[in-house]
Amino acid sequence: MTDSNEITENSGELDPRFENIAAYILDALDDEEERVAVEALIEADSAARAEFDELTEAAALLAIAVPTVTPPARLKARILELATSSPVPGPGPLAPMVSITEPSPATRWSRIFQSGYAVSAAAAVLVLVAVGALGIQNNRLGDEIDLLRSDLNVEAEAVASLRADLSATLLDSETRVASMKGDMDQMEDEVGATAAMVVHQEEMVSELAIANAALRVALRDQSWMTYVAMKEDYRVESWLDDNQAVSSASGIFAVRVIGNEAVFQVNGLERPKNGFAYTLWLLGNGDPIAVTQFEVSEIGSATVAFLLPAPFFQYSSLVVTQERIDSVGSQPSDVQFLSADAN
Amino acid sequence: MDEVYRLNYQGLTDLELLEHISNQDRDALETLYERYGRRVFSLAVRILSDSVSAEEVTQDVFMSVWRRGATYVSKKGKFTTWLFSIAHNRTIDELRKRRRDRSRTNDDIDDHLNLESSDVSPADATVAQSEYAKIRAAMEKLPDEQKNVVELSYFKGLTQTEIADKTGQPLGTVKTRMRLALKKLRKALSAELGTQV
Repeated sequence: MTDSNEITENSGELDPRFENIAAYILDALDDEEERVAVEALIEADSAARAEFDELTEAAALLAIAVPTVTPPARLKARILELATSSPVPGPGPLAPMVSITEPSPATRWSRIFQSGYAVSAAAAVLVLVAVGALGIQNNRLGDEIDLLRSDLNVEAEAVASLRADLSATLLDSETRVASMKGDMDQMEDEVGATAAMVVHQEEMVSELAIANAALRVALRDQSWMTYVAMKEDYRVESWLDDNQAVSSASGIFAVRVIGNEAVFQVNGLERPKNGFAYTLWLLGNGDPIAVTQFEVSEIGSATVAFLLPAPFFQYSSLVVTQERIDSVGSQPSDVQFLSADAN
Repeated sequence: MDEVYRLNYQGLTDLELLEHISNQDRDALETLYERYGRRVFSLAVRILSDSVSAEEVTQDVFMSVWRRGATYVSKKGKFTTWLFSIAHNRTIDELRKRRRDRSRTNDDIDDHLNLESSDVSPADATVAQSEYAKIRAAMEKLPDEQKNVVELSYFKGLTQTEIADKTGQPLGTVKTRMRLALKKLRKALSAELGTQV
């Protein structure tokens, strides 16, 4: 038997006034006007109400006609938690279960009037029917309003709580931002102070370098002056450069023309290491002779007078080393701070 | 002691549980959820194909029961009829909202007919499978055209005009097929209606 035969066979049993009830139950109507019309019909006509009840039960079976899927456990916990924070509206007169669809009939009426539908002729007829139903639905609408009002109160409490939370969070954030800004200001001050110290130290280093250079020049000048002062009695036997020196040392070696006195002047020596002293050696006439140990000034200079063991021309060169104080060996150390040939 | 307390709740009827709910008895809501939460969730999953959204829908449905359960009147219909109607309406609202937003797409219904429960107890699974099998059998006996109209409206949320456009059938024919399909289901499952639903 085909579906068209079924329809033909059964259509005669179907009251055409109820043609939209099934679609109403399945939520398959196309607009609010049709919904309102069906609700008014159900309220006004017991046969329509009977068909509504019959088909509603059948539609509910469709919900079972799906494979079951177990919801996650967290869902039950969440629902119960929400229920705890959302009190049940106070008990009131029980309303008849006419409309089982959402939104509520009250909402639907509101939509219809807002849409301007009431000004049309066709709508006017429908509105009259609906107004008739309003008397019946009055109590239910009142209950709906009470429920909605209760829901609104719950929501308002939730909004107030959320607003308080947000205010507290905002205040906390502002405090933390202010604290962080204070920290940043302090860090900026410290960084600024450190930068100023660095600049100051750089300036000091620069000034010391200039002063040191000036001292070197002055020392050289002083050397010349010493030479000039002594030239009447001494002759310069050698002008010594640091040709093999490990430091920047240089010096003058002068010999008295009559007699065996000699003067050695040196510049640019670093302070000797602990327990050691600079030692002047004469070479080229038998074994090396350590003629003297001497100290240097703060700026690395020294003027040392001593007696030559033999005429100066018998020596080929002189060197300056660091030897242990009062424990000089027979040979100069390998590290020579100044070395020069005696011309 | 708690076990005894819970067993007492399990013995209450749906209507008795609703009376407890009207007195803000959360245990009564928990018992109702344990009875029907899986059904509501399964329906929402079936229609939305999205377990996350199905959780939201199920939550809304049971919060409606919590807030409005006191308005339910037993002589006007079975509690489960009321509950599943709310669940279906809420789910279809979500489905249509998605369509309007065009942010998500719903796959074809047939892709989801074979969803299986993963952690249902054997006893529950037996009962559920029995109900499911009977109702599916009744649906399978419907002519294809009537079955298709029910599928498109109840599970895909199409209006009767949209169904007419989709199938090329006259609108009046769609309306008639909807009515006939529900009437036949009602008749075929009258025994089920008297006990299960």
